[in-house]
Amino acid sequence: MTTRREFLTVSLAATSAALAPRLAGAAGKATTKTLTTVRESSFIKAFDDFFVKTLAPEYEKLTGIKVGYEAVSVGGMLTRLTTMAETKSGPEITGTGLNWPYLFDNVLVDVSDVAGEVGKKLGGWHEIVQDVVVVNKKWKAIPWGNIGQLEVYRTDWFKEVGVTKFPETWEDLLAAGRLLKKKGHPFGFEIGHGFGDNHGWMYPLLWSYGGREVDKDGKTVLIDSSETAKAVDFCRKFYQETMFEDVLGWTDVNNNKAFLGEQISCTNNASSILVVAKRDFPEIGKVTDHALNPQGPKGRYHLLNAQSLALLSYAPDQAAAKAFLRWLYDDKQMSRWLAAGDAYYAPFLHGYDNHPMWQPEPRYMPFKESLKTSRPHTWPGPQGTAASESVAKYVLVDMFAKACRGDSTKDVIATAAAQLKQIYKAK
Amino acid sequence: MAVGPVTIARPAPVEGRPVTLRGLLEREGVFSWLMLAPGILFLLAFVAYPFFYGIYLSLLERRVATPGIFVGLANFRTLAHDAVFWQVTGNTFKYVALTTVFKLTGGLGMALVMNQHFRGKNLVRAALLLPFIVPTALSTVAWMWILDPTFSIVNWLLVHGGVITSGYSWLGNASLAMWSLIVVNTWRGMPFYGITLLAGLQTISPDLYEAAAIDGATTAQRFLYVTLPVIKPVLIIVTMFSVIFTFGDFQLIYALTHGGPANATHVFSTWAFDIGMSAGLLGMGAAVALAMLPALAVLIVGLTIYLRRE
Repeated sequence: MTTRREFLTVSLAATSAALAPRLAGAAGKATTKTLTTVRESSFIKAFDDFFVKTLAPEYEKLTGIKVGYEAVSVGGMLTRLTTMAETKSGPEITGTGLNWPYLFDNVLVDVSDVAGEVGKKLGGWHEIVQDVVVVNKKWKAIPWGNIGQLEVYRTDWFKEVGVTKFPETWEDLLAAGRLLKKKGHPFGFEIGHGFGDNHGWMYPLLWSYGGREVDKDGKTVLIDSSETAKAVDFCRKFYQETMFEDVLGWTDVNNNKAFLGEQISCTNNASSILVVAKRDFPEIGKVTDHALNPQGPKGRYHLLNAQSLALLSYAPDQAAAKAFLRWLYDDKQMSRWLAAGDAYYAPFLHGYDNHPMWQPEPRYMPFKESLKTSRPHTWPGPQGTAASESVAKYVLVDMFAKACRGDSTKDVIATAAAQLKQIYKAK
Repeated sequence: MAVGPVTIARPAPVEGRPVTLRGLLEREGVFSWLMLAPGILFLLAFVAYPFFYGIYLSLLERRVATPGIFVGLANFRTLAHDAVFWQVTGNTFKYVALTTVFKLTGGLGMALVMNQHFRGKNLVRAALLLPFIVPTALSTVAWMWILDPTFSIVNWLLVHGGVITSGYSWLGNASLAMWSLIVVNTWRGMPFYGITLLAGLQTISPDLYEAAAIDGATTAQRFLYVTLPVIKPVLIIVTMFSVIFTFGDFQLIYALTHGGPANATHVFSTWAFDIGMSAGLLGMGAAVALAMLPALAVLIVGLTIYLRRE
């Protein structure tokens, strides 16, 4: 039987052992033994598995540092990052997307040195990505790839109505959509309050008609223009003649479900639909393809969503965390990691423009091509809290949604303009 | 001989005698505070502190990861000029008012039925509680399927029953989306009313009903003049709780519509989350969340005063 004295001795020893690393760390004597990264879990399970089962053990073998991975469910990373930034605690390395390096500028470490080295070794960075990760001339995050939003469509049904090649312009897509809806295969583009598949086609649509939310200066609201009116008019027609009412309330899961349930013939999405189709619905996978967003009178655009890793300023050993990033972004590691991702992420390094990851499945190639015409949300306006506010308040989405449900073009633009003026504190 | 109340408290220690820990714990005043302390500390840490911090935040222009700037009531002034804020306010009141009425009437009916004696009563009681027991996130996923235009069982039944020719867009149509949320909230919240009111009904002495029956009271009269007055305090308390919970409802709306289409179903909690978390405007987000406070305060104070008078 354990005596009280024995119990106390064991308890004290256990407590001391548990506290020892913290106490040593506080005294600045400890060497880093663990690092943790937190990211939104990848839609491609193999991408996460490769990090956990291959890269992390390799790094531990090399340096003795154990690298942990905390997965956050899709759509929840911004909340997690906000909590980390506010409490100044949590994983040392975080995943970022969209314009988050701007939002969290104050708590992110300057990683220009690492980004510079990586860029030099791997052919240089695509210029456009710098719009979202370089804040006040400092790299606050290092991108590994873009999650593109493109047109996903059923080749067999398009052929049925005589469309053998995906339409080049929005007007041609509308014409095809009319025929497909008549055949019982409507389009299904998200117009509700999701977080990606709505903005994924609405910003490109606005831009391709020449419309803009705000100017580069971040003070001049530009939404009230004839170009925006044309985009709104087109959107209403596009919705009424090719889709059905439910898309107005869709969030990001609905279009995937509807496409895989063979309810729609075309949508705007990442490559996840094809990934799932190939895995779970092979017959649908065979007749699914991707295409660039159609052109409007003022060009062709796509939405930028750069996935990156950033280093938190509260990290106790920033040098160790940077060393890990340096190792991870080295071609030996990054190349294999991207390949494990099944081309879901289009890398921003020119050295990977012809990476073998693009070979196995040519249907992913449009995602690579789309980088050239990708722009961040609210472009050409500055990326900052005002841009986030506009996106979070669904200003653009609701402008189009209200027009689709029947409100006048003039009214919906006036409402959006008033909201944007308030957000950008413009007169 | 009259017997006075027995006091279980020990007398105060006699002067000069040493105060022992055991003696101290035996004192009613000390012991009761000791028992209350965990609860009070919990409330202070997880209710009072966030509440007052929320008020403080609402007075700041506070963007995520930056120090705040005191702006007084500027956030509230900005909200007052925002058309979406007023739409959200209207949505919230509509959602709370209608769900409360439905839950109250439905819950009362449920309690009256469950108060009867019939075979399988216990099974029915357990089944009726299910919506309240199942985690909201899970039941909401089920409702996503039920309300899906393509896969909806409701649409399937209506179409195959010859009621309609094509399915309704339960979450895509602005009016139907709000009504759909009201139905789901009512489905989830009604058992809370039902089970609480059932507890109230079971305290009513059968003598009262017998006396009323002898006086020739009809069923409706027995309900109006016996049942209702007795359970009124429970009714008020349960309504107060329900209104508070419904005002702060988040999961259900966020999962089903995320406030769409075109803000038609945004309520204070979902809008505050979007502004605070997605836009990084913590001060403004707190101001939106606090906007529901005056209405709640008036309701709670009003109902409490009414209860005390009763």
